[in-house]
Amino acid sequence: MELLERYLQAVGQYLPTKSKMDTLAELRANLLAQMEGREEELGRPLTQGEVADVLEKHGRPMLVAARYLPQQYLIGPAWFPIYWFTLKKSFPFVVAVYVAAYVVTQVATTFVEGARGHFDIGAAIGHFPSVALTFWAWMTLGFAFFEFAQGRYFQKVDFSKGWNPNDLPKVEAKGKQPSMAGGVADVIVSALVIVWLLAVPYKPYLLLGPGVGYLHAMPFGLTSEWHIFYWQIIGLLLVQLGLKTVMLFLHGARRWRKGVEIVVQVMGILIITIMVQARSYFVPRTTSETMSLKDLATINTAINLGFKMVLAICVVKLLWDIWQLIVHSDAKDNGYAKRSSCV
Amino acid sequence: MTSALQNDLFDSLRLELRRGCLIVAVLAQLRVEHYGYTLRKALADEGLAIEESTLYPLLRRLETQGLLTSEWREEEKRNKRFYRLSADGEAILEQLLVEWNGINDSLHKILKDQRGR
Repeated sequence: MELLERYLQAVGQYLPTKSKMDTLAELRANLLAQMEGREEELGRPLTQGEVADVLEKHGRPMLVAARYLPQQYLIGPAWFPIYWFTLKKSFPFVVAVYVAAYVVTQVATTFVEGARGHFDIGAAIGHFPSVALTFWAWMTLGFAFFEFAQGRYFQKVDFSKGWNPNDLPKVEAKGKQPSMAGGVADVIVSALVIVWLLAVPYKPYLLLGPGVGYLHAMPFGLTSEWHIFYWQIIGLLLVQLGLKTVMLFLHGARRWRKGVEIVVQVMGILIITIMVQARSYFVPRTTSETMSLKDLATINTAINLGFKMVLAICVVKLLWDIWQLIVHSDAKDNGYAKRSSCV
Repeated sequence: MTSALQNDLFDSLRLELRRGCLIVAVLAQLRVEHYGYTLRKALADEGLAIEESTLYPLLRRLETQGLLTSEWREEEKRNKRFYRLSADGEAILEQLLVEWNGINDSLHKILKDQRGR
């Protein structure tokens, strides 16, 4: 029976000290009885191989011991769906907040310290998994602590009770629902545009590619007023980025979301208005004599006209959206009024 | 669905179906005192085979929950732990049997109705 003792010793390694002796004594008695029962069937003592078969069938020591341990969960089945839902729903915010924080930090570094722009997108992306993991770990720890503490330090929370169907939000009007992924993508793209704009003065090839060489050879250059427009545009884009991030948090509040969408559009119009007011975008280089001022004025007028056309389209779009918001708002109210009058 | 997947699914559903029934069977069988090995044999003789590694820890858990009582006693020159249904266990078993009979009757009725169509 040396094999049995070896088996019990192996099982004992995974059992808590407090109950180990008791559990092993019971297991020994049961296994011995089982082996004796088998011997009675065969009419002879069991061979080493047959003892091994009995033990093998009984199970791997670690798994056998695990079944004697109290069932433990980090996050139990009652709270796991809520934990998983929270993780899934909050992940886009983590992405958005990370992107916004990165852009703000970079802008502050460039603006306050006057440091040369150094937007390492690769490093930012590479750093993100550790941020996501840290977020996941804290969320898991929070839920695990809650699971552990409820019933011990405060009354157990029964999530299945204490809700009222009348508190459910009203049925959304049919139509395309705003997607969370689309919202996050919008925030990321907006942030990347800001990063790109901030990087352009230091690395002009980001704007024109290889054409930057031709620009230097041209008889005209950018007006000095560009510096003023530039920072005004950056400022407005940052406000727009903030509002787009806020829109993510207003995912369920359709009317608020529409309102913020309109404010974001107004920001865009302000940016184009700044471009329209500039009027003069290129000025002749002091050394240049090859290009007449008249030709340059024509170019500036054409660019200004282009911005004016874009501005007109954006204003019409804004007015249309405001009109739609008002019309849908009235229709929705009337719809509910009709429905409630039928009841 | 491949047959391997189907087998896995069946095993998993069968396990789920048996889990609750086994507890009721163990409680009912322990109206008469048993130690682990003889209890397993008694259940197997009634057609309800259960693995040792499942049964023995289950006995411990049911005892911790107050549904069983146990005592160490010498039998055939060997110390064994004998289990028996406690008073609380008896009350719970009665409730579980009412529940189980209700489910059983409903299931039979559903199947009978379907056969009748």
